[in-house]
Amino acid sequence: MHSRRQFILKGAKLVAAGAAATSVGPTVFARGAAGADKTLKVLQWAHFVPAYDKWFDPWAKEWGSKRGVEVTVDHVGFADVVPRATAEVAAQSGHDIHMFIGLASAFEEHVIDVKDVVGTLEKKYGKSVDLAHRSTYNPFTKKQFAVSDMWVPDPGNYHKKVWTDIGMPAGPATYEDLVKAAPEIKRVAPQMQIPIGVGLSQDIDSNMAVRNMLWCHGGSIQDKDGNVVLNSPETLKALEYAKRLYSVGMTQAVLSWNAASNNQAFNAQETAYILNSISAYRTAQDNKLPVLENYFFVPALKGPTGIQLASEHVMSGYVIWKFSKSQEIAKEFLVALVDASRDSMLASKLYNFPSFYGAAADPNTPMAKKAESGAAWIAKQCNADPFGSQPGDKLSLLAKALPWSTNLGYPGFANPAEGEIFDTYVITDMFAKAATGALSPKDALNEASNRCKEIFGKWRKKGMVAGDSKDR
Amino acid sequence: MSTADLALTPARAPALETLSRRDRRLGKILLAPALAYIFLLVALPFLLALFLSLTNSSAGSLDFSFVGLQNFRSVLRSAVFLRALRNTFIFTFVSQLLVIVMGNILARALMRPFRGKLLVRFLILLPWAAPISLATLGWLWIFDSTFSVINWLLKVVGWLGPGQWYYWLGDPVLGMIAIITVHVWRMLPFSTVILLAGLTSIPKEVHEAADIDGAGPLAKTFQITLPMMLPILTVAVLFGVVFTFTDMSVVYLLTRGGPYNSTHVLASLAFQDGVLGGDVGRGAAVAIFLVPLLVVMAVVMLRISRRAEVV
Repeated sequence: MHSRRQFILKGAKLVAAGAAATSVGPTVFARGAAGADKTLKVLQWAHFVPAYDKWFDPWAKEWGSKRGVEVTVDHVGFADVVPRATAEVAAQSGHDIHMFIGLASAFEEHVIDVKDVVGTLEKKYGKSVDLAHRSTYNPFTKKQFAVSDMWVPDPGNYHKKVWTDIGMPAGPATYEDLVKAAPEIKRVAPQMQIPIGVGLSQDIDSNMAVRNMLWCHGGSIQDKDGNVVLNSPETLKALEYAKRLYSVGMTQAVLSWNAASNNQAFNAQETAYILNSISAYRTAQDNKLPVLENYFFVPALKGPTGIQLASEHVMSGYVIWKFSKSQEIAKEFLVALVDASRDSMLASKLYNFPSFYGAAADPNTPMAKKAESGAAWIAKQCNADPFGSQPGDKLSLLAKALPWSTNLGYPGFANPAEGEIFDTYVITDMFAKAATGALSPKDALNEASNRCKEIFGKWRKKGMVAGDSKDR
Repeated sequence: MSTADLALTPARAPALETLSRRDRRLGKILLAPALAYIFLLVALPFLLALFLSLTNSSAGSLDFSFVGLQNFRSVLRSAVFLRALRNTFIFTFVSQLLVIVMGNILARALMRPFRGKLLVRFLILLPWAAPISLATLGWLWIFDSTFSVINWLLKVVGWLGPGQWYYWLGDPVLGMIAIITVHVWRMLPFSTVILLAGLTSIPKEVHEAADIDGAGPLAKTFQITLPMMLPILTVAVLFGVVFTFTDMSVVYLLTRGGPYNSTHVLASLAFQDGVLGGDVGRGAAVAIFLVPLLVVMAVVMLRISRRAEVV
């Protein structure tokens, strides 16, 4: 037991120790602050293929430790990427690097120009794929606002047995095939709730699916110069087509889908066709689902115009905030991330495709041959899937996806107006209203066109978007 | 010695004055955290929203210019906004009506002694304690358009025939029903507890006296229970109405405003336009649209509540 005297003595020692600690505190803090210059905070989405995150996080840490940089990686769900960016811009603090999976263009004003990073990468690997360039560069402001290390193809997923039973073993090739097949699918597979599972809801996958439909019928939101041209006979044809397809092959379920719903419906064999990347397929593989043996892929469908296009499923856009105090380190990190394109593609189980094909080239390949060599390496992976596809070349069509893949904003560049239209579901709602008869195709088109013009007008006033002289 | 006597004693006057001043100072100090809280977390964001609604501010920019009432004019022309406005009223009034009626029934049931009452009270309170995001995941499965357990159950009991299916979240009307159901489930415990407190605070003697006077159950309900519960009922309704008018979580987690923006309420539409779409000015205009109405409603209900207290 302590006497009062001992207690006071011990207390005094503690106070003295505290005071000493306080006196050296600023030094420790200063060291911490000096060390803080060598920190890098990265905000990353939670990848649809979880194996990727298991590779990315340690890779980033290791990259940092080799350079004396403390790298922190935080993950958010894909739906929180934009709200989180908004919050960080408002607070002018947060992460140094922010990864967008769609369009980062709305944040252009608050990110640094990374032209030098892209320049370095081009010197090492040659040019990036065109859709990555069109998603990360604003030709109007001439700013390279993001770096893309990867993009994801968006093929059609079809149920081999069902399509074989209706006499189309290779799956659909055109949009008209879907309309023709739907009643047949109902006949041979009446247990399937939704013969054709093309989403028309307020979610990311539907947003892409309806754009594919629009483009393949010859329509688009903007032309290559940024004029709003949604109000066109081609768009009307696309809407009339959606109405036909909905009436023969879809149910109201597709109006309520979230990003996981089409995967779940296909994996549960409740639909015979969806538009999706290979993440749903990898889930089926991981869980050894019965659908696996009938899980096959087709390229983007052709429209009546002969146009065959699909939006990228994901387009990475890494930005460096202006408020970041580690901008130079962040630039080095992004170069290193592109350098690791092969590892990235393998870690994501062939979900990620390099934005710089040259970064996947064999070592010591001459500059002029790098893109070609990278493409060959990518094709080799897809032609003999190292992750156990049966048959091994099931994913081979992905290696040829580039010609039928394009960026949001096609035929122009991605821009903030296209981003806002995407994030507020103007186009999916137009298609859903026309398909279900909530509005006539013409009224749905007028409503959406007016809203698009309003959004473009607003961004033009801010000097971020081109066009307007030829708005329809 | 009375207070009046003290006041009349000249020697004590300065001491009393000091005491009174000290009290006032202490009062101010004690009130300061609450005032700071209200100012920083309520008044300031509200004034900021009001300010932003008059600008063309966007999410990716700190620059903006004044556009007057342009945002308000623009949203008033929007069919989506008008639909969201209508939905907000339907969502609020239908859910509050259900909450009050069902809360009353539950509270009356919980007044009576029965076995397992504690467990029942715990279960009733559970939805209030559960995080809404977690709870909504369960509801998402219950209302899923492809895998809804309600539909499977209805199939089993023969309510739904071959080819018949309810697309709970894919139909504007069923979507609103689903949203209201989850919100009622979520709000019911709070309302029940409030009403239970009101019911238990009515002295037994009043009911006994009414029994002696020969009052029937209806007369007792309308002439004793309801009038005596009016202040607490008003608080419950006011809280519920304001909370529901400004809530977006159920809508956002369940339907995200779909199908085709037909189940938005103003709060979820404001989030979609302002945060996801990046049009902060427009989002702010949508968000504060109902403020004048809510202020009037709060004042009226608080006046009713105060009058009832006096009676």
